[in-house]
Amino acid sequence: MSNGMNQFITLALSNGVPLDTLILVLILPIIVTMIAFFRQVVGIKAFGIYTPAIITFALLATNEIRYGITIFITVIIVGTLARLLLKQFRLLYLPRVAIMITIVGFSILALLIIGGIYNRTGLASVSIFPILIMITLVEKFVAVQIEKGGRAAIVLALETLVISVIGYYIASWDMLIRLILHYPWISLLTLPVNIFLGKWTGLRLTEYFRFRQIIKPR
Amino acid sequence: MIQFFRNSRKILGMNARNLEFIRPNNLRRAKRLADDKLRSKKMLLKAEMPVPKLIDKIKDVDELENFDWTTLPESFVLKPNRGFGGEGILIVYGKKKNLFNVWIKADGSLVTVDDLKTHIRNIIDGGFSLSGVPDIAFFEERMKLLKLFKPYAYKGIPDIRVIIYNKVPVMAMLRLPTKVSSGKANLQQGAIGVGIDLATGVTTTAVLGKNKLIEYVPGTRLLLSGIKIPYWKTILTLAVRTQEISSLGFLGADVAIDRDLGPVFLELNARPGLSIQVANLDGLLGRLRRVEGLKIKTVEKGVAVGMNLFGGEIEEEIEDISGKKIIGLVEKVKFIGKEGKEIEVEAKIDTGAHSTSIDVELAKELGFEKTLDDFSKIDLSQYDIKLESEDYIKSEDYIKKDILEKYKNSVQDLDGVAVTYSANGSSIRPAVKINFILDNTEIASEVNFANREKLVYKVLIGRRDLKKFLIEVNK
Repeated sequence: MSNGMNQFITLALSNGVPLDTLILVLILPIIVTMIAFFRQVVGIKAFGIYTPAIITFALLATNEIRYGITIFITVIIVGTLARLLLKQFRLLYLPRVAIMITIVGFSILALLIIGGIYNRTGLASVSIFPILIMITLVEKFVAVQIEKGGRAAIVLALETLVISVIGYYIASWDMLIRLILHYPWISLLTLPVNIFLGKWTGLRLTEYFRFRQIIKPR
Repeated sequence: MIQFFRNSRKILGMNARNLEFIRPNNLRRAKRLADDKLRSKKMLLKAEMPVPKLIDKIKDVDELENFDWTTLPESFVLKPNRGFGGEGILIVYGKKKNLFNVWIKADGSLVTVDDLKTHIRNIIDGGFSLSGVPDIAFFEERMKLLKLFKPYAYKGIPDIRVIIYNKVPVMAMLRLPTKVSSGKANLQQGAIGVGIDLATGVTTTAVLGKNKLIEYVPGTRLLLSGIKIPYWKTILTLAVRTQEISSLGFLGADVAIDRDLGPVFLELNARPGLSIQVANLDGLLGRLRRVEGLKIKTVEKGVAVGMNLFGGEIEEEIEDISGKKIIGLVEKVKFIGKEGKEIEVEAKIDTGAHSTSIDVELAKELGFEKTLDDFSKIDLSQYDIKLESEDYIKSEDYIKKDILEKYKNSVQDLDGVAVTYSANGSSIRPAVKINFILDNTEIASEVNFANREKLVYKVLIGRRDLKKFLIEVNK
């Protein structure tokens, strides 16, 4: 793989930086720029920028994306049910989140075991890192539930999932990885793109839909 | 397609709101003030603005444990200081009889001191504040619902959101709590937003929640348009004054109307929502651009500019229905004189007068000098007019007819005679046919000539020429 590879990359590799780390760090700016683009131009909000980015990497680490998606959806469903369950106890914020994380953790464990029973060993062999990330996602979920209500939280969670899946396919796109290993600086092209996005004052695509009644000629 | 792009350019989107309006106009300090309800309440009170009275506040767990619950009145509102979107607000309507320190909520359920304590602990812990920072809980007096709004509002108090920019009110809506919003006047939670014509304070179009256009209050036959909001000018003035006080350049001001106190200022909003555009079926950006850069010196001027620029939809609607045009008490009128000479003057619209009269000087300018000369040669002393006289010889009708018959040929252009009565007796004046244009409508009139030298308006339009118009006294 070394032929035609950029000098900078060769330097990093020869000094012991793992290839995977290099690729992920160089791809990260592209992933977060994509998230910014989805927010500013398309209007898909998701849970900020950190959550979809980290979920993207969690998906990358689950070997098979469908297992990642399964775990994510389980977290959201259990999170919603646990919220309804805990509502009546009127608990303070942090203890409530702690209970939610516990419930979700056990549900994921149950999911892995059920997966094993049905010979889905791939599910059980998912490493602990992505599982932990998905479980702690529930805190963000609870925060949004309080801030914007249960329905909005589910919508935002699904938006997060969609963006993360797109991010997953971008980050595992062979051509892009090869390109970035040859020309690592293209990762910096995201800077002008973000300056443009940061100054963009046009309507978001979703706003054309939201304000359709005003826009349509009368 | 062109219309589509033109319309969408008038709309204020999230990006433009944040970058072009909130960022440069709402400095961090001012934003923090708006997010701190207790501080903004204090500041508004200092500026002698009407705000709901603060009953008490609880800062931490110690204060909560030592709180004397008997000091609370029969009804109150419990709020988190840094709450948003109407979350964490608890309203009680009365105290339960025969029970010690138990209150009743709008839905009839009971609230005990223990319930209050849990709720307050949650507030203090930051359960309802932006990004979960520790917060202060406070009690304030409950507003009383105005009778007018009673049929429209499901529990809770409706409020009026006014967007202020550059000291000018640019858009407003009435927010009505519904069952879905559980008594909260917040569109995101399913309240109704009703657009308001800024000039008149009359409601126009309505939206349920964020996007559904409606005409009636759901489940009823109550029309949402045409509600006249009382104290309209006071509300706008309050909102503009708040902008001065808070130094929020782009402000969403929430004002409610209390049954006893009248308009009361509820809340400052440094990041006003965008759904107000759907309620008004109009874009904010277009309106903001029209106000941008205007030099507004006083609050009154700002209110007047807003009312003038962003009102009038109601008028157009009435004009459509009645087929009549709406004019004010003073209007510009263009007279078409002899040989097509056109003169534009300000005229007083006077429904107390039967016919239109103009000053003799104006008559001369219009080319009727000869008429006036000829008429002045008539010996009018032969006519003795008595108002409501039994004697036909002395009646107005006879005299008019007589003069016209005798002098029609000797006085140029004479078409009629007008008789007017005043404290100094009566006067007889010549009248001629003149056409004039009022609000783009040409009217064939019979105009009489009078000496209006000492009067402010050289022209007075009488009711005979006003059949095609409705008169709005506020215009």
